[in-house]
Order: sequence, then C-alpha cells, then structure tokens
Amino acid sequence: MLRYTVKRLIQGVVTVWFIATATFFAMHAVPGDPLTSDKAVSPEIRANLEARYGLDRPLVEQYWIYLTNMASGDFGISFTQQNREVNDIIAEHFKVSATLGILAIVFAAFGGILWGAVTALYRNRAPDIVIVFLVILGISVPSFVFAAFGQLSVVKLNDWLGFTLVPVAGWGTVQHMIVPSLVLGLGTMAFLTRLMRSSMLEIVNADFVRTARAKGLPATRIFRKHQLRNAILPVITVLGPSIAAITTGGFVVELVFAIPGLGRYFVQAVQQLDYTVIMGTTVLYGAFLVFMVIAVDIVYGLVDPRVRLD
Amino acid sequence: MAAATLSFEPVRIERDVETVARPSLSYWQDAWIRLKANTRALISLYLVIGLLAFTLFGPLIWRVDPAVQDLDQISVPPGAGRDVTVVNAYTPWQGVTATPLPGEPGRTLAAPAVLAVVGEPTTRAVRLRWEPVPGAASYRVFRNIFDPEPDGALGLPIGDVLNPANVSFEDRLDLKPLTYYYSVVALDGSGAQSDRAAATVAVTRVITAAEAAQKGLIEQASDARPGDVLQLQVHPLGTDYLGRDMLARLMHGARVSLFIGIIAPFAYVMVGILYGSVAGFMAGRADQILMRFADFVVALPFLLFMILFRILFNVQPGDDGIYPMMVAMILLGWPAAARLVRGQILQIREEGYIGASRLLGAKTNYLVLRHMIPNTMGVILVTLTFAVPSAIFTEAFLSFIGMGVAPPTPSWGSMCNEGLKTMLTTPHELIAPAALISVTVLAFNLLGDGLRDALDARMRSTE
Amino acid sequence: MSALLDVRDLRVEFDTYGGTVQAVRGVSFALEGGKTLAIVGESGCGKSVTVQSIMGLIPRPPGRITGGAATLDGHDILRDQKIDGKDIRGRLVGMIFQDPMTSLNPTMTIGDQIAETLQVHRRYSRRQAFARAIELIEMTRIPEAAKRARQYPFEFSGGMLQRSMIAMSLACEPAILIADEPTTALDVTIQGQILDLMGDLQRDTGMAIVLITHDLGVVARMADDVLVMYAGQVVERGGVDDVFYRSAHPYTLGLKAAMPTNRSDAEQTLTPIDGSPPDLFAPPPGCGYFARCPHAMQACEGNPPQAFALGTGHEARCWLHHADCGQDAGAVYREHSQ
Repeated sequence: MLRYTVKRLIQGVVTVWFIATATFFAMHAVPGDPLTSDKAVSPEIRANLEARYGLDRPLVEQYWIYLTNMASGDFGISFTQQNREVNDIIAEHFKVSATLGILAIVFAAFGGILWGAVTALYRNRAPDIVIVFLVILGISVPSFVFAAFGQLSVVKLNDWLGFTLVPVAGWGTVQHMIVPSLVLGLGTMAFLTRLMRSSMLEIVNADFVRTARAKGLPATRIFRKHQLRNAILPVITVLGPSIAAITTGGFVVELVFAIPGLGRYFVQAVQQLDYTVIMGTTVLYGAFLVFMVIAVDIVYGLVDPRVRLD
Repeated sequence: MAAATLSFEPVRIERDVETVARPSLSYWQDAWIRLKANTRALISLYLVIGLLAFTLFGPLIWRVDPAVQDLDQISVPPGAGRDVTVVNAYTPWQGVTATPLPGEPGRTLAAPAVLAVVGEPTTRAVRLRWEPVPGAASYRVFRNIFDPEPDGALGLPIGDVLNPANVSFEDRLDLKPLTYYYSVVALDGSGAQSDRAAATVAVTRVITAAEAAQKGLIEQASDARPGDVLQLQVHPLGTDYLGRDMLARLMHGARVSLFIGIIAPFAYVMVGILYGSVAGFMAGRADQILMRFADFVVALPFLLFMILFRILFNVQPGDDGIYPMMVAMILLGWPAAARLVRGQILQIREEGYIGASRLLGAKTNYLVLRHMIPNTMGVILVTLTFAVPSAIFTEAFLSFIGMGVAPPTPSWGSMCNEGLKTMLTTPHELIAPAALISVTVLAFNLLGDGLRDALDARMRSTE
Repeated sequence: MSALLDVRDLRVEFDTYGGTVQAVRGVSFALEGGKTLAIVGESGCGKSVTVQSIMGLIPRPPGRITGGAATLDGHDILRDQKIDGKDIRGRLVGMIFQDPMTSLNPTMTIGDQIAETLQVHRRYSRRQAFARAIELIEMTRIPEAAKRARQYPFEFSGGMLQRSMIAMSLACEPAILIADEPTTALDVTIQGQILDLMGDLQRDTGMAIVLITHDLGVVARMADDVLVMYAGQVVERGGVDDVFYRSAHPYTLGLKAAMPTNRSDAEQTLTPIDGSPPDLFAPPPGCGYFARCPHAMQACEGNPPQAFALGTGHEARCWLHHADCGQDAGAVYREHSQ
C-alpha cells in the first residue's frame, strides 16, 4: 500500500510538471508580448516585471525561472492589480472554491449512493421510476440552468416566507453555502445515482450475495456488508473525474451566485489578460485535480483489497 | 392410465440434429432489431432526426433574419398579442399649467388630489395631469410595472417637473403595451416628499400609417387610416431583449451548437481512433510512450485549457470564436477515444479468431478490415454518441461564461447567458434555449444507452 | 425412520421474455440423516433450481414455486425459511456452490465471512467467531489457518476457496449440506481432495449431503442414493448400486455410455446422447426423453410414463417397465449393463 501511494504521488508530481510546462508554452505562444496588452502598466512596474520574469531572456531561461519560482511556491505578481501577489489572490479565492467544491462532491457522492441503492432495491416500482426520471433530467440539464433555477427558487422561497431564509447570492455564512453546493452537486449526483443503480443491479444477483443468503444472514446485513460495499467500488473509481466536473461547474455557480471563488476570478483574469494569474490558477487547479484523483485512488485501495498488491 | 389405450410399438424417430432455430443475423442486423425493440432509444433517435431537421431545414421555412431587431416587440413572450392601432402623426403636447398655490410653512405637503390621463395612453406617449398641491416646489413622477401597493415600491422615477406651475407630464420613455402604475408626489423646497397620487394606465400599442408602411405591415401609407388595427410581425417563440426573433435565433443557434456538438466529437474521436490504433498496433515501448502522453493530456484541466486556447488563438471582439473552440476541443478531447480504441485493439489481437484467421493466411489489411474495425465499431459508435452531449455541454458552458461563441452570433449557450439576465421578468428567453440543450443532450444520452445495449456483445450471448 | 428432508411434487416456473419456463415439474425425494443423495442430470435439467427453491434462493420474480411441499424435520420450509423464528439457512442447512471464485465476497476476509455466520446464528462475539473460524479453516485442511483467515478471496486458489466455502457452510454444524456442483470448476486433482474432505467431514459430523453433479464418477464415489433428473422431472431413483448396475431408464443408460471409464482393457468409444433436451416453454405431453430415446414407442409420445417400482426404493419412469410392453425391459437393460 505504501509503495503504491509513493508511486502514485511521483506520477502526480510528473503530471503537474507537464501541466505547468503546457501552460507555460501555451501562454508564450500567445501572439505579441503579454506586457503590451491594453492594461498598460506604468513603465516602472513594467521594468520591474521584465526583470522579475526575465522577459528579455531566452525562452528556455524564462521557463527555468518560471519552474523554480513555481516549485518554491511563488506564482508571481498580478499584472493588473498593482503589487498584488498571485499567491495572495489564490489563497483568498481558492479557499472559497475548494469549500464549495468539497461540499458539492460530498453531497453528490452520498446522494448518488443513497438514491442509486434505493432505485436498485425498488427496481421497476414507483420510487425507482421517479428517481430514474429525475436522474435523466439531472444529466441532461446544464449546470447553469440548475444554478439559475436554484437562485430563482431561493427568491421565490424568501418571498413566500417573507424573510430571508437563505441568501440569494454572496458568500460567507453556512446559509450562503447550502444552495450553491446543492446546485453544483446535482448533475454529478444524477450521474453517480445512475452508476450506483446499475452497479447495484449487477450485484443483487451476484454469486456471493446468493452465498450470503444461503448463510441465512438478515436482509439488512446482506445489504450493508455484501451488496453496498461492493456496489460502491465503481462509484469510487469515477469520483476523481467527477471532482473535475464539479470544479468546472463551480465556475458557473460562482458566476450566478456571485461567489468570490477562484473560478470567477479566473474568468475575470482571462478577460483582463492577467497572465500570471491565469498561469498560476491553471497550474494550481491542475495540481488540485491530479492529487484529488490520486487521493480517490488511494481510498479505493483501502476499500478494495485487490488493488493493494499492484 | 388404462393399459388398453397404450401401444408399445417401437417407433423410429428421425433426428435432425442440425436444425437451426433462428435465421442467422449479422451483427448490425441484430443490433438494429434490438434498437428497434427499445422504445426509449427509438424515440430519441427520432428526436435527434427532428433536431437535425430543425437545424437544417428550419431556417429555410422560417425565413426571419435572426439579427433583425423588432423594436416594437422587445422581450415579448411567446403568444403575446400583436395588435397595433394606427394613429395620426405625433403632435407635441403643451402640457397643463395651473397657478401655483402658496402653502403654509412647516406643514407637510398633501398628495396631489387627482391624477388623470389626458387623451389615449399609447406606446407613443402617456400624458398625465394632476391638481396643484399648495406649497409644492416641484413634482416627481414614478412608473412601475408591478402594483406598488403592498410594500410602497413606486418604481422607476421617470421625471421631475421642476416648474410648480406645470401640473402635467408626458411619458415617452420606452413604453410597452402593458399596464403601468404611475405615481406622482409633490416635493417642497427642501426636497421632502408628499404622499402619492396614483393612476393605473393600460397602454395600447400604436403606430402611424407611415411607420407601418415602412415596416412592411401595409403596402403604402394610404392603405390604413387612424383607428385601423394592424398585426405586427409574428414571433412564435417571442423575442429577446433586443427584439430579435427567438425561433430564428434558436434555429441559427442550433447550427452553431450542433455543428460544434457533432463535428468536434466526430473529429476528436477520429483522431483518437488513429492514435489509439497506432499505439495498439505498435505495442511495446512505443505504445507505452504514446499512452503516457495521452495520460498527461487527460490530466490537463479541460475547461481551463479551453479558455487558454481562446487567448492563444487570439479571438478578437467581432470573431464568432467557433473554430478556435473546435480546435481546442479536438486538441484536448482525443485521449479518451484513443485509450478505448487501443484497449479494444490489444484485446482483439489476442482473440482466437484473429489467430485462426492468420493461420488461414489472412493478411494484416484483411484482418484490420474484416475483424478489427467491425469489432471496434460498436464501441466507437457508442463513444461518439456519448461524446456529443458532452461537447454540447462544453459549448454551452463556455458560451455561458462568455468564453465561447461571441455575440451577436447566436448559440444555445450564449442565448442562455443573455436570457439569464432577464430571468425574473421574461423567463422564456432562458427557458427556450435551455430546454433545447436539455432535449438534445437527453436524446443523445438515451440513444447512446440504446446503442450500447444493442451492440453489447455480452448481452448477445446471454439471450 | 421419517426423513430429515422431504420434498413432495415440487414445481417451479420462471417467467422470461420468451414465455414461462417450467424448470421443475413435480420432483419428490426424501433424505435421511447421515446419508448422501446425489442428483444427476445434464445442464438445464432442473437440479440446481430444485435445491435453490428449497433454500429460498431462486430470485422471485422471475422465479415462482407453483406447487409442492418441502419439510425439514416436519417444518414446511417452502413457504417460510424460518423455524422457531430463526433462519434455517446456514444453521440447519449449509450450502456450497459451483464457482468458489465468485461465490465469496471479494471485499471481506475469509475469516470474517466464516465468522459472520456464527455471529448471526450463534450470537458469538466477533472475537469468538473469528477464533472459531480459524478452527474451521484448519478443519478443512488449509495450512496456516490463522494467517489465511485474514486474507481476501483473491489471495486464495480455487481449491482453497472451495474448502473455505465448506468451512463456512459447516460453521453452525448443519444437519444437511447441499453441494451444488462443488467440484465442477476445479482441477481434477483438487476435485478428489474436496470430495474426500466432504466424505470425512460427513463421517465426523453425521450430516446428510445433497450432492448435485453431472459427473457420474462423483456419484459413484459419494452417493448412497441417486436421483436422475431429466427435463425437470425425476426419471430414475434408487440406491447407487441399483442405478449403476441395474439402470432402468434409457436416459441413465445414455449418461453411462457417455461417461469415460478408466478400464484400459476395453477399446471404448464414448457415445454421446444425440439431440437436445425438450423445450421447457412447452414441455412434451408424454415422456420428456421420447425424442432422443433409442427405445421410443408409440405410447411414449403422448402419455407421461408413471413411476414403476422395480425394487426397494428403486423406481423408473419408463413405459418399458409396463406389464403389457412387448419388449423385455430386463433384456434391454441387461444388454447395456454388460
């Protein structure tokens, strides 16, 4: 297990290096000098930046500076916000995005496993039909529509109650987090429910479940120890990619609900061509996703004994 | 059983061991039969065909330019009335004057006693007059589209009448054929506001004969007289916030969304097939290096790089941004298909029938054409079907956050983006494109499910 | 002595897309304590469905028990798997299956899976149950039982998995062990070891065994009584010697002719049974074996043969045994039995 973990972590570091390299060369392939954008900076800052990033040096040397800076955790200075460190910006906004994303994935995972198990147990009966219908809806409706209608229902709910039960937008308190994370998790939850359902249906008639019945175990124990535990395995394997989906969905939810997250900031940075922020954010997001996937794989190893020997 | 009825004569039974119960079907025939038996998949197949027809032939039938703004009908919901009354040309209004009445200092102002409409309230002008208030220094006029009664929200302050001798106001500000709630309050020298006088005004839509002729509603100006009722341009699904026809925009938006949604996956699945089969055939070290690279590309944060590519391709304001988006999708989308195809090829290479075919002297070309491609087709087709909804989602998502197809080019995603702003007042501008995205994605998803079930060889063997 | 397990006229149907399959059509048998009953027949003849319906293991729907009764110690277990409010399965009846690789939960240790039965039926504590599980693993002759108990199924070989299955099914010392083709998925050398183990454990514990198999060699080695099934019905039953040396049904003869023996002196060719079993969507009105039988007579086509008693506990469903039948049944069978 330890060897496996170390191996995966090394793979992760190499992958992040690749992402950083791809980002660097993508940004340097942009036509023109990044500093000659409309957001003309004062000559002093410009000189400062040129010195700091070695923009007058050869590309390879710039790449080296960029890599060493990034390895020491320095993402540089914002191009558009004077004297603001990208690290500060990321630290401030990433916290928000991560909180939102983790709440959403937890909600999606638990919801998906629960509803998937329910549909499989009530196969072809009313609860199954209703949930399957909702699931099909859930995977077909784009996240921004969920976000828009989520917000609309909050408005209507508050109107109807006569007071603000949950805020319509913004960030800060627990109340602010509920609706955006629900909305964000909804699509993924639908997807996981579907997966869990088919996985459960396969397991319901598995040989080892028949063995468990032949042992005379109570139905609840068979469900808990034999069906659920095995049916969850495929759900765990897709949790990694799901985190990526949730992260991108987060962009929309942050926009619609006016949440000061990194996604919203990234879109803004792109519009303003704030190169250092764009590079820093891309690499950070990439690293986050890579290591989340690794974390999920390690958790999978804990649940499924068969992986541990690899 | 009575023995008398039994006969113990031996019989010879012709045994036809080789009887085949069913006619043998080719893979695709069998798949098609299975697909036809799946109602959901069949309905989605028809839906997909319908959507393609909507996109390809819709604009030929509904010949409305999606870029033309119908300023008479802005943000009109589907099925709204489109009557318009012909009136005479506009003549300026002098207003109503009254002698200002002196007020008692220190007393709060009374509300204007009467608020009345002068003449017909039309979309051209609403003319209001009221009784002077003693001590008033000026008057302020408010307009609201909701009844201000419950919580006293007077709405938009549309004008200040600074001369206390003037007790009238002419509203010509962006009037729509709605019911408006007007409020007039008097203000004293210090700006303190009186209670309001209220009037509820139902506005009718009007047009002059000359304008009607110009818009093509009538042949020439003399064809209509004041008082005639004409019909404005039809908008079956209403218009957006710039007065553009929603149906025409949805059709042209479908061209963009489905173009990206079908061509991009097709292209990157093709690239993936090529890459994957090369890796699968070369095997060994080359295969490992190729697949390692694919792993890296998979690890790139997809949407962030889509956005980066937008900068990279230097999309200028005014470009529609369709091709950069497609190129970016192809550059980032191929590894999934490549992995799948490689896996399939590696698996098929080991199958007994390949070995058997090789023993019979089959050449590589024959093996590829006769065995490998037909046996990976199913998987590829299913992958393609599932790639379409995800590409449509990607387009919609990018356009929604303003990083995809740029206005004024319509796409379903950018229409949703625009519709979101007016979600509370005119939800149809969001609902129509969102519903189309959802239906398309749903149809392709269900079709993909159906195809997978129909083509799944495992299910074929366990009847 | 009244039978431990008594099954009378069991009928089971399955609803499928193609129609209703009559998988079991009136099967009766009785099993006495300490004895081994073998049920033989080819694939799809209803052997497994018979025992799985008795154990309440057929999925319902699509499966359906349409008639008959099964009593264990006088209790009707077809309607209710509980006696005195407790499940008989795992406690009074243990069961092992054909494919040990898929019949064990891949995410639980072997020890836990054995201990689970004891925790549920005997109310053992986790620790107690696990300790007993190690003893049981030892009993099935798996070396290093304590270490093995903490391993997962994927770390075991097929033979060891089947031993573990046996340990699991015997954890609560059941009166009956039902073994559904226990050796089919195993190597021939392992098969012998597993059968020896079952035989030894039977001597030690005095349990009865229901052994389902299509391997006549296994039957000869293990069984006291034999039930030959064909197309959902019992065609011949009797003591193992009766069925082997005084076979009284053409199908039994066919099975024997298709079985390889280890007598090297005979220039022997195996004779397969031509044709395939009848369509159980619409079973034939007469004898199910009519279409494949070398001795078919006109009577066989439309009249289901009754069971003819041939000796103590030996009976066969074949019209050849009818008194009015012109052919000498005895001669037919002697000829085949050499």
